[in-house]
Amino acid sequence: MTGTPPSRPKAPPGSTPENGGAVVPPAPGALRRALPLLGSLQGYIGLVLILIIGIWSQGDHFLSVENFTNAIGYFAPRGILAVGMTLVIIAAGIDLSVGALLAVGGTTAAWLLTEQNWPVVAIVPVCMLVCAVFGLVNGAGTALLKIQSFVMTLAMMTIARGIVREFSNNTSIGTVQIDAAGNVLPGSQQFQKLGTPGTSLFDVPILGYFPVLALVVVVIVFQLILSKTKFGRHIYAVGGNPTAARLSGVNVTAVTIAVFTISGMLAGLAGPINAAYNASADPVAGMGYELDAIAAVVIGGASLMGGRGSVVGTFIGALILTLLDNVLGLNQFSANWQMIIKGIIVILAVVIQRPELFSDLAAWLKRTFRREDGGAEATASATDPLAGDVKSPSEEVPDRDRAR
Amino acid sequence: MSTAEPPLLEMRGIGKSFPGVVALQDVSLTVRQGEVVALLGENGAGKSTLINVLSGVFPGYDGTILIDGTPARIHTPTDAQRLGISTIHQELNLVPDMSVADNIWLGREQRDGIGLVNRRSTNASAKALLERVGLTINPRRPVRQFRVAEQQLIEVAKALSLNTRVLIMDEPTSALADAEVRRLFQVIRSLTADGVAIIYISHRIEELEELADSVNVLRDGRWIGARPMAGASRDELIRMMVGRSVADLPRRMPEGRPAEAGPRLRVRNLSLQGDSVSGRVALHHIDLDVHPGEIVGLAGLMGAGRTETLESIFGAFPARAVTGEILLDGKHYQPQSPKHAIDNGIVLVAEDRKQQSLVLGATVRFNTSLAALGRYLRWGWVRNRAERAAVVTEVRRLGVKTPSINTRISNLSGGNQQKVVLAKGLLTQPTVILLDEPTRGIDIGAKSEIYELVNELAAQGVAFLVASSELPELLRMSDRILVLCEGRVTAEMDAETADQEQILEAAMARTSVLAGDGGAA
Repeated sequence: MTGTPPSRPKAPPGSTPENGGAVVPPAPGALRRALPLLGSLQGYIGLVLILIIGIWSQGDHFLSVENFTNAIGYFAPRGILAVGMTLVIIAAGIDLSVGALLAVGGTTAAWLLTEQNWPVVAIVPVCMLVCAVFGLVNGAGTALLKIQSFVMTLAMMTIARGIVREFSNNTSIGTVQIDAAGNVLPGSQQFQKLGTPGTSLFDVPILGYFPVLALVVVVIVFQLILSKTKFGRHIYAVGGNPTAARLSGVNVTAVTIAVFTISGMLAGLAGPINAAYNASADPVAGMGYELDAIAAVVIGGASLMGGRGSVVGTFIGALILTLLDNVLGLNQFSANWQMIIKGIIVILAVVIQRPELFSDLAAWLKRTFRREDGGAEATASATDPLAGDVKSPSEEVPDRDRAR
Repeated sequence: MSTAEPPLLEMRGIGKSFPGVVALQDVSLTVRQGEVVALLGENGAGKSTLINVLSGVFPGYDGTILIDGTPARIHTPTDAQRLGISTIHQELNLVPDMSVADNIWLGREQRDGIGLVNRRSTNASAKALLERVGLTINPRRPVRQFRVAEQQLIEVAKALSLNTRVLIMDEPTSALADAEVRRLFQVIRSLTADGVAIIYISHRIEELEELADSVNVLRDGRWIGARPMAGASRDELIRMMVGRSVADLPRRMPEGRPAEAGPRLRVRNLSLQGDSVSGRVALHHIDLDVHPGEIVGLAGLMGAGRTETLESIFGAFPARAVTGEILLDGKHYQPQSPKHAIDNGIVLVAEDRKQQSLVLGATVRFNTSLAALGRYLRWGWVRNRAERAAVVTEVRRLGVKTPSINTRISNLSGGNQQKVVLAKGLLTQPTVILLDEPTRGIDIGAKSEIYELVNELAAQGVAFLVASSELPELLRMSDRILVLCEGRVTAEMDAETADQEQILEAAMARTSVLAGDGGAA
């Protein structure tokens, strides 16, 4: 049954009577073709727009390496959370616990540094492991106990926050330790390289700054996993149709547990970076970061219904949010206005992503145009009933006369 | 029929186009009181578009619709409802988690003096309506708990609750077993006796012969002609439908199969615990053998356990619910999970294409290679080239009509989607293929292609176990037919000598089942 040479020529696209009615017909007109494309590129367009506004309003300052390093470094922990969130959301879940897990990671790191005097190279993997365990519990609750992930991770958010506050006695742990002579201890110096602005691991601008490096590496690795591995395909299948995935031999339980574990693990990476950036691990750090992460994922083109999205998209979404904050800040907008504008951007991004929005728009334009022509063309050309609602029924009358 | 009064419904010169495609062109249709008018045509012939025009799905269309001789505008579903036109779509429109009664009265809730929903009268009236369609079920149970066929009858009851003068039924029997079809026909006859007109859409000519007064044939969005059912010959109708002469598809000619070789699949004493919540039927001591190259059919009424038999073998149920022994090529095989089954060379083409088989938001390529991805890995990475080549080969071999393998699967017609489901299974190189309603809701052309493909694969030694509610299909496809009733095998017969009456008798052999005689006839 395999190796049979293709005996039939491939059918010409959508041309047969059998599928003529069912295949979504190609939309005529360059406008109709161009508009949905615009929708799929909206992330890049948004990014370019923000860059243009930034350069136009605050050119020299905005473009400086220092500004970029600061802006991205500030946002990197949230960006890393967003990568994990992307996998969870593609699998049709949500992870509300990542902000709290970031605090768990940060406090664990600070404790290992100040109380145990561990080297940085050991601290980060251990933090990731600890948070991965929390993620594993999220996954097990979702996949095995069949608790909806919103509920499961909401509970975990509270639990993790409680644990970290109890563990730290509600006080933040400073990560810059000074000896009697007033010098910063070498361990602390190393730790600060994880996130303090102006420090770099090696001599490359921007990329030498650890938060940027970590974010970029995480984005590349998980984008490759998502698009090039069996596991990645299975994530999309689980989010797209779990029944079909299971009957196709996908281990839905394992995939679900894995994405939540990865999400937790990445929170464990973001925690120490965030602590180093702030030079202290606060038990209330990361409050609301999960929402920023979700916003980045959504701007990046994922659907909360699952089955759709990409890490690169999320990265662009995170960049848009970061640079938007930055540009607004440089132009003296207050934090309050930044929040309002960010919210509006999220709504716009989601609306723009609907391809049918543009085809409906094009259909509407076409109809309006035809009407001015005085044409008798009265059939609504949109397949979406909503699109036709704007049209008045009186248009049908000339048609009726023509028919008889 | 009286011709003095104007017809109940008249459609003149109806046309409808979508961007790039003219779906319907100059179609006319006349329906009188108490008449059953059949619409016949292959998929994509425009039947669904026509009924969508009638039920107000499209805000705009060409042509005129007359009700009782006066022009009527149907631009919204509410317009259609007001004019007494109800539609039962092929894809049912019920809210799964609401009760049967609430679904029937959805949007027209019966309220008491202070504006609260009156449970008692809602449930009582729902029960009465359900009895008219022959369903004796508790109207307080959520719709989710019923199987597709029962849900369909609930939709009929809902249509009855509206003041329906024209009832449109789109492939109402595609999910029903023969006994349910009888029940549905009884309901239809009692409706027409009350003066309701029925527009009936079906692929199955034998049903129309029994039910319809006249038949209208559509092809490629055009009206081809109308015939009074009494004088129409089957061949003529098929010729009108497909535009070419097609004799009834030939029965399968069994190959000379090797008698000595043992069965590929041997099932002994297979039992499954029922589950009332999910509506899972219990199985009792099922025995069956499928040899390499053999096609074994599973017949039975709704709830007989056909699907459950296939899914038990496939490992779709928790292992603790399944008992019995299964041998694959003489080796012990314990169903654990679908993954385990696929690893052992068994694939299932499930009953419900959209719910169980396809990731609708993904591409043809994604869906086709999903089950076989493990074959294209190198160092853990999916080799794009190998995967694409395999998908293209399989898609071409099955003649899937798609603009490209990167087209979204939801843009393909039902028949082509079903071929993709088959291609997905075939890429895993199975030795046993379990088919559940393999041609449900697809047109004659695609059906015959699927039959051919199954024959071809069987000739190469693949063992098939096919469940279908369409007896002519089973008789045409299979070498041997097992009849199930209430989770037991009640008969086994050779497809060449079996006829529909025999099968039906065994499928309704409740008495022998109750007497505890589960053995083969």
